[in-house]
Amino acid sequence: MTNVKSVSSIIHSGKSYQYIDNGEPMRGGMKDVYFAPDRSYVIAFYRDKQDFNSKERLTKLVTQYYDSFFNREGGEYYKTVYSWPTDVVQVGSQIGLIVPTYRKNFFFAKGYATSDGIKGKEKQGLWFASAKFRNKQFALRLDESELGNWLSYFQIAVKIARGVKRLHAAGLAHSDLSYKNVLIDPVNRDATIIDIDGLVVPGLYPPDVIGTADFIAPEVLSTKHLELRDPSRKHANRLTDLHALAVMIYMYLLYRHPLKGGKINSLDTEEDDLLSMGEKALFIEHPTDASNRPKLDQQPKSALPWADISKLPYTITGPYLKALFDQAFIVGLHNPQQRPNADMWEQALLKTTDLMQPCANPACDQKWFVFDNSTSPKCPFCGTPIKGTLPVLDLYYQFKLTVWKPENHRLMVYHNQYLFQWHVNRNIVRNERLTAEQKVPVGYFTWFNNKWVLVNQKLSSLKDLTEDKVIPVGSMVEITDGKKLLLSNEDGGRVVVITMANK
Amino acid sequence: MRRLPVYLLLDTSGSMTGEPIEAVKNGVQVMISSLRQNPQAIETAFISIITFDSTARQLVPLTDLASFQMVDIKATGTTSLGEALKLVATCIDNEVAKTTQEQKGDWKPLVFIMTDGIPTDEWQSGLEEFKKRKTAYTVACAAGSGADSNLLKQITENVVSLDTADSQSISKFFSWVSASIGVTSTKVEDAGKEVTGIGELPPPPSELNIVT
Repeated sequence: MTNVKSVSSIIHSGKSYQYIDNGEPMRGGMKDVYFAPDRSYVIAFYRDKQDFNSKERLTKLVTQYYDSFFNREGGEYYKTVYSWPTDVVQVGSQIGLIVPTYRKNFFFAKGYATSDGIKGKEKQGLWFASAKFRNKQFALRLDESELGNWLSYFQIAVKIARGVKRLHAAGLAHSDLSYKNVLIDPVNRDATIIDIDGLVVPGLYPPDVIGTADFIAPEVLSTKHLELRDPSRKHANRLTDLHALAVMIYMYLLYRHPLKGGKINSLDTEEDDLLSMGEKALFIEHPTDASNRPKLDQQPKSALPWADISKLPYTITGPYLKALFDQAFIVGLHNPQQRPNADMWEQALLKTTDLMQPCANPACDQKWFVFDNSTSPKCPFCGTPIKGTLPVLDLYYQFKLTVWKPENHRLMVYHNQYLFQWHVNRNIVRNERLTAEQKVPVGYFTWFNNKWVLVNQKLSSLKDLTEDKVIPVGSMVEITDGKKLLLSNEDGGRVVVITMANK
Repeated sequence: MRRLPVYLLLDTSGSMTGEPIEAVKNGVQVMISSLRQNPQAIETAFISIITFDSTARQLVPLTDLASFQMVDIKATGTTSLGEALKLVATCIDNEVAKTTQEQKGDWKPLVFIMTDGIPTDEWQSGLEEFKKRKTAYTVACAAGSGADSNLLKQITENVVSLDTADSQSISKFFSWVSASIGVTSTKVEDAGKEVTGIGELPPPPSELNIVT
């Protein structure tokens, strides 16, 4: 029994939307979802009556905040970062949201490796945050063609971090960031934040959501027993988002939960869970307190190899992310002000991609890994060593006329690796505001005639400082141990110092 | 890893012969494949099937969704609901892990009971045993006019009824059960805010009547 119904916007008078009611909507946690006849949008009706505060909050989100996020420069990029509601409708006392349909790449093309069970279903984030669904012995594993490689998840995490960064810049908090509220596409290295309607808007009453279990900040859990309006009760805000963001990035890179270890905090199951994620939360990889290490004999086999923190410790994510995980799960776990912000995560993730090397083993599941700074580097996932020399470029900036200081940023070279503007000049920041022109490579590294060389494509003032020689566009310079190159003589231009690893 | 144990107690007495028993079999299959589309459920839910006719037996022990395989069921005999309640109590003792100093225990189990008739055994003593076990919630479904909702009310406050025990109503019941398991497997870890009654589950479809 298919029935096309029509509802009116409460914001734009005269505007109405059609939807198909077959009596069987998709039922979410709080909303019933119906499709438009042409499937270009959905209408999500709240099952519960929404009060004045909620209506006011939703109205602000689809008008004022919609405009400031999307109807200005850079807005097109952010349209891909969120699935943002565009209008509020009402029928009787029921309030609904108009939300554009998700892009096609967020639905499984294949899904499970061994059946069509989830083909065409949404790529909800949890499918890609759990070790199970990528374990080759697990019956309900995802097909390899759906999983992407390890580098994909850095790019996905960058996109989520940018989404959070932009919300926070506008004074908003998501309040329920979790693998349930993002869609992930490792194939196209894409992600989008959904369920935007729970946003905390400054000056208005927050929604009554507490969040998704794995992502609720410890301070929220440990004050949950207090009355809703008790001043000591902690609510979702920017800092709880930053806890959720850190958990999410950890899970997308390591496919385990940073706080779910073996420590028993109470013999009552519910209380144990509340304490273990709340008041007594402890990083499973805490360097000095080993009491919450995962007990491997109590883990299902499908959680391996990722559950084994001695085999795949969080340090495999490289030095920049290690520092932020320490900040988030050791220093800032019970001290919310200390948590790294979204911009720091974005920059650390991007810098880490500059440390990555392709694995020489074509059968390696992860395909990429972070150079571990050792003298005989190898892939931590499959153990394949790097063959041949490995040029490491350390970036320096001009502090004073003759004084150059390290950027704490390093670029690992591999065959056919590109060099970009953001490596060359410290005034160009690698973020979502880069112009199309700034995304064009300015040179590339290649293994040529048994030598590492940098081919200059666009650098007008590239100079080999060691040999005091200008390298014009269209020519190349050999990369050797100890060599110094000036990438640009413009303001902000950098010098790189080359070290040959794995000699 | 904490598991969410789910026990399904299914009436396989003689009166279920024909369309009803086929609908139950189909309902379990559809439920499993729908839960297999839900990553939260796959992560946490473990399912067991207990049937009861002249006796009660555990046809499928607590099994994760990936390995679950339905076994054939036939409708025959009387309605030993009391024995089924006693059996599920034993299964909970044996299968649901308690939290110890060494190991994290499982979540409290969910129990779904479906029957189309009146128990023919000494069901009260079974109920007494069952009541000693903690469940997150128990839902009883009275399928068709032969079942007694008021009697089921003594087992749990959450009773739903189907007007007829036909395949359409029964399949609706199972799709509601799978939605409930889905919601609970998501929410169960919001510690202290456990789903404990029917009020927080997705609204039942129109064919199900909640008995108040």
